[in-house]
Amino acid sequence: MLEVRNLCKYFGGIKAVDGCSFTVEQGSITALIGPNGAGKTTAFNCISRVLEPTKGQVWLEGERIDKLRPHQITKRGLSRTFQISRNLADMTVVENMILQSKTDGWRDLFKPSVSPDEVDKAMEILDFLGITRIAYEDGHNLSYGQKKLMDFGALLMSDPKIILLDEPAGGVNPSLLEEIIGHIQALNERGLTVLIVEHNMDLIMRLSHKVVVMAQGQVICDGPPEIVREDEAVLEAYLGGVLDKEAA
Amino acid sequence: MSMTFEDSGAVLEARKQYNAKLAQQADKRRAWWFPIAVMALLMVLPALQLVGNYNYLLHMVLFTASYVAMASSWNILGGFTGYISLGHTVFFAIGGYLAGVLLARYGISSLISAPLVGLVAAGFGYLIGLITLRVRGPSFIISSLALLMIVRILFDNWHFIGGANGMALPVTDLGVLWAKVPYYYAMIAIAALTVICAYKIKHSKFGLGLRAISKDEVKAESAGINTRLYKVLAFAFSAFFIAMAGAVWGEYLTYLRPNIFLIILVAANMMLMCILGGKGTIAGPVIGAILLVAFNEFFVAMMGASELNILGTGAIMAAVLLFFPLGVVGTLAKAGKLPRILNWD
Repeated sequence: MLEVRNLCKYFGGIKAVDGCSFTVEQGSITALIGPNGAGKTTAFNCISRVLEPTKGQVWLEGERIDKLRPHQITKRGLSRTFQISRNLADMTVVENMILQSKTDGWRDLFKPSVSPDEVDKAMEILDFLGITRIAYEDGHNLSYGQKKLMDFGALLMSDPKIILLDEPAGGVNPSLLEEIIGHIQALNERGLTVLIVEHNMDLIMRLSHKVVVMAQGQVICDGPPEIVREDEAVLEAYLGGVLDKEAA
Repeated sequence: MSMTFEDSGAVLEARKQYNAKLAQQADKRRAWWFPIAVMALLMVLPALQLVGNYNYLLHMVLFTASYVAMASSWNILGGFTGYISLGHTVFFAIGGYLAGVLLARYGISSLISAPLVGLVAAGFGYLIGLITLRVRGPSFIISSLALLMIVRILFDNWHFIGGANGMALPVTDLGVLWAKVPYYYAMIAIAALTVICAYKIKHSKFGLGLRAISKDEVKAESAGINTRLYKVLAFAFSAFFIAMAGAVWGEYLTYLRPNIFLIILVAANMMLMCILGGKGTIAGPVIGAILLVAFNEFFVAMMGASELNILGTGAIMAAVLLFFPLGVVGTLAKAGKLPRILNWD
């Protein structure tokens, strides 16, 4: 469904992503993991075109998307969240969500900003996430966890085919984490493809069908979670060869 | 993927009722009669000329209306979208000069040509926006200043339109009592149109997108908003209304000169009015324009037309912003203390 070929992103001399290639199968949950600075978020940003890749190609359902602008990619069914929740203060949660609903060119521009249908849809999603009580809350009155959930809900407004989640469990408490895992699973069961960047190994092992491990801008290993967990290169990357030194 | 979830019927029903209540409350807070009453009053005001000479009053209302139009128009880009422009007088000048040339060479009154002139200025706005809206923040402000300077130099040296000496326009044949009246009505119509359009824009998908852009452009873009198009369109809209005001203002003055139209003071006034009244609100620019014109006039009357009156206006501005950091309307609205008659958002 999503295919990344030889993706590179250089910041001057720093090769943040350097020849990264992997695929995300239709209907799967794929996790992108790696130590800090491995280039996961940069790869994410290049896929969603928030950053322009230096080299390489990204294909979504047989269409090359690495030359498109971010809003065009969103329209083609790929939506993402941000690592640090970027919600829009001074707008209510419902407005924040409806912002992400599909608009179709010029005709829709001057329609009323919030239609009853869209409000109903936003409410359904908030209900699914269990946060209808904050629907008319102002964006900046939300707690961190609520922002994460709202971001997640807003993604669903545009009826995406694939969602990219950048550390959905980062900084949330264990009970909310369980909730988020539940939501991701529920959506995946309905056919939504998920690509997820995460540090929380527990979440990765429980959720994902496939794990892609990055280190220093490159994919060093990919496969089912059980296999990846035992991989030498992965242990080396995560633990920096500490085990070897201890053994010596 | 379709989003239908089970077991949510009862919750949705309760929520719907709650929403309906909220909407009802919001509606109750509107007081449509107030702007309509003000408009009605302004419409009959020129009848005062039948019993005396109220030209000064008419001039002040016309002058305020021109600033209401310009500030509301500036607000579309500066308030909703968050791009502070100090070069918007360029469109004021384009409007004034284009309508002036049409009047002087072809005898077409600006009262007729204003919408056309507005469209031309919107076209310019679109093109200029395509270039300058690539940067934001301080860089954008400086690029808007540069635009003002470039156009000033161009107009100062363009002989066809009189260069720095300017261009005189034919004077209306109406008597001294009625000469202002057509322009008075035209300017009020433009001001009302601008405020209504600003309201429509704010409550459209377009407006929601602009508000998102002002908060976080990266987020807005990845939410599926064509930020470049939205920004450039906002620029074109704000150019449109300012140019219409410029067209009527030029013919009203009967004289066009770059140092009337192309000075930073006019652009700064638009911005100050929005900030004083409340950037990004509908009533804000209107209140800001009325307050700033009133302060100015009061201090000119008290202190004479020296530099001192500017100091007086500035001191009042600073004092108001100390107590109303989001502008008068913005701060009151946030505190939930905005009088119903001013809740136009």
